[in-house]
Amino acid sequence: MKTAHWALLPTLFATGMAGAQDYLNCQLAPGWAQSEAKRNYVADNLYDYKDGAAEGYLSYGFVRMQGITCKSGANTLTIDVSEMNDADSAYGIFSANRDPRLPVARIGMGGQIQPQSALFAKGKYYVEIVELTADPNSDRTAELSALVAKMQGLIEGRDSPPEELDWFSKENLVSTRLVPKSVLGLRQLKRGYVATYKQGQAFIVEEATPESAAAAMKDLRAHFAGATAAPIGDEAFQAKAQYLDGTCIFRKGRTLGGYANLPDPQQAAAQAAKLAAAMH
Amino acid sequence: MKSNTSRRDFLSAGLMLPVMGGAPGMGFWKQSAPPAAATSPSPAKLSYKTLGKTGLKVTSVGMGCMITSDPSVIERAADAGINYFDTARGYQHGNNERMVGAALGAKRKQVVLSTKTEARDKDGVLKELDTSLRELNTDYVDIWYLHGKSSPAEIHDDLIEAQQLAKQQGKARFVGVSTHSGQPQLIPWMAQKDVFDVVLTAFNFSMDPGMEQAIDVAAKAGMGVVAMKVMAGGSRSQKMAKDGAMLAALRWVIKHPGVGTTIPSMTDMDQLEENLKAMEGAFSDSDQKLLAEHLELILPLYCRMCGKCEGTCAQGLPVADVLRFLTYADGYGQFALGRERFLELPAKQVAARCADCTECTVKCPYGVQVSSRMARAQELFA
Repeated sequence: MKTAHWALLPTLFATGMAGAQDYLNCQLAPGWAQSEAKRNYVADNLYDYKDGAAEGYLSYGFVRMQGITCKSGANTLTIDVSEMNDADSAYGIFSANRDPRLPVARIGMGGQIQPQSALFAKGKYYVEIVELTADPNSDRTAELSALVAKMQGLIEGRDSPPEELDWFSKENLVSTRLVPKSVLGLRQLKRGYVATYKQGQAFIVEEATPESAAAAMKDLRAHFAGATAAPIGDEAFQAKAQYLDGTCIFRKGRTLGGYANLPDPQQAAAQAAKLAAAMH
Repeated sequence: MKSNTSRRDFLSAGLMLPVMGGAPGMGFWKQSAPPAAATSPSPAKLSYKTLGKTGLKVTSVGMGCMITSDPSVIERAADAGINYFDTARGYQHGNNERMVGAALGAKRKQVVLSTKTEARDKDGVLKELDTSLRELNTDYVDIWYLHGKSSPAEIHDDLIEAQQLAKQQGKARFVGVSTHSGQPQLIPWMAQKDVFDVVLTAFNFSMDPGMEQAIDVAAKAGMGVVAMKVMAGGSRSQKMAKDGAMLAALRWVIKHPGVGTTIPSMTDMDQLEENLKAMEGAFSDSDQKLLAEHLELILPLYCRMCGKCEGTCAQGLPVADVLRFLTYADGYGQFALGRERFLELPAKQVAARCADCTECTVKCPYGVQVSSRMARAQELFA
């Protein structure tokens, strides 16, 4: 194992560092110049830069961050690129930080460009760009869009969102996100995707095996007093709960899914059945 | 982002009307009929403290909402009686404030709500406060912190002016500073400034005893003390996997008379139930034993970056730095980064070997086995 580790080192340096040199470059934005040394953070010192917000990054599988500050006259542009464990995690931190009230643009796996900031995720990288100008009301959307286009062209990796998101109905959908821990506030639902609707929310959690999913189902059912069986997937139950209202949770193979926060359990079961049918 | 770029008469009302009705068990919260017993809050025995000169009566366990992803956990915490909720403008680019505001809803004025700003100048922080109020759906916050300060030099006069202005305008009842490091210098400075009502500080059983002294200074000056990072990173790193260790760590902080409340992060209902138990019993001998065992586990490995070893290595090695590089590899699985940083040291330091010394001159006050850890770094990286 040790030999293999050492053998990989040149590759690790070549890909990780050289890639960052390409897209962390103030000259990608015409008229801007780098003003200070590049920033480097890892999990144990991200607090130095992000304070308490670092915890959010860590919960999504943060590996390290590299960043640069660019200047153009009195204006400042900060670009930070976080490398996450994998593409799903990069999408996850993007989904947590994006403004759910605004649409997601087709930038990498997803992105948002606002008058003075931009976010996007591509491959295992999550990119944050903030432009500070003397005029807090200035609209820098065009400039940021051009920079984002150049950067995302240089970043390698997946450019489509997680396929699980396709399983959620688009009707009345407000936003989707990856929850890194305790979906719906339930420890048994470890990590998964949540779709928020105008009314209610749906979720998908993938376990390692059908057996571990069945064990989680058993724990969940014990958690919901008065739960009754529902004919969905391999097994399912519906219940009325104090904080989740009408809820239905099902298991289909190693995947757990369901609906919550609907007025009654029957409605939740009906929606959950549609979700189960959409899964493949 | 710490970017290099990082009403009215409520004061008196707040003092007269302690949050949560002042005494436990007064039933300020109406428990709605529980349709499903397993998801209703368990009746919890709550303990309260007064948050320094603010006069706020707060539960000794509050809630850090930073990584809470489902509002139901916040709702349930409020229903269970927790009455201190903490967020920040920077958490999830503002999404966290929005969720906290929505989750608290009509209960907002029955709890103490704090948020923070990372802006660097007067106009910036005041603009952020207005945004926070809008997102939290409230016309005031109870405590407004300057976020993540490590030294007095970072707290400019215009930031203090902004905080005082926010108090005058009724947008913040009380103001303070949050800090992760530098407390032994920062907190006494805050205490003598007499413009800060509260300090939010990292505080846990694994920290330097100097931290307890700093907290005593704050308490004597009448500042409220809110403790964070109370689990010593336990919930994230799962270093405290032993049953009861995290509860013991929380009780250790609560027992300190200078601490008003704590804000452990909570992501799910089970974690909430566990943390509520910290208010049910006093710190016990078995808690002490658990923490001592945990310290034994981490002491030989865990460098606290106190700097007391600086200049004591006979070969002139930067001990804390090398141990940090080793942590990249051993603690976070970042072998390449650890080696990269190690190899950036001067050639003489890269070539040095601890085995060349007959006795290690570095004595870690926390018991880290410096020579063996340094030797491991040299074997791994050099």
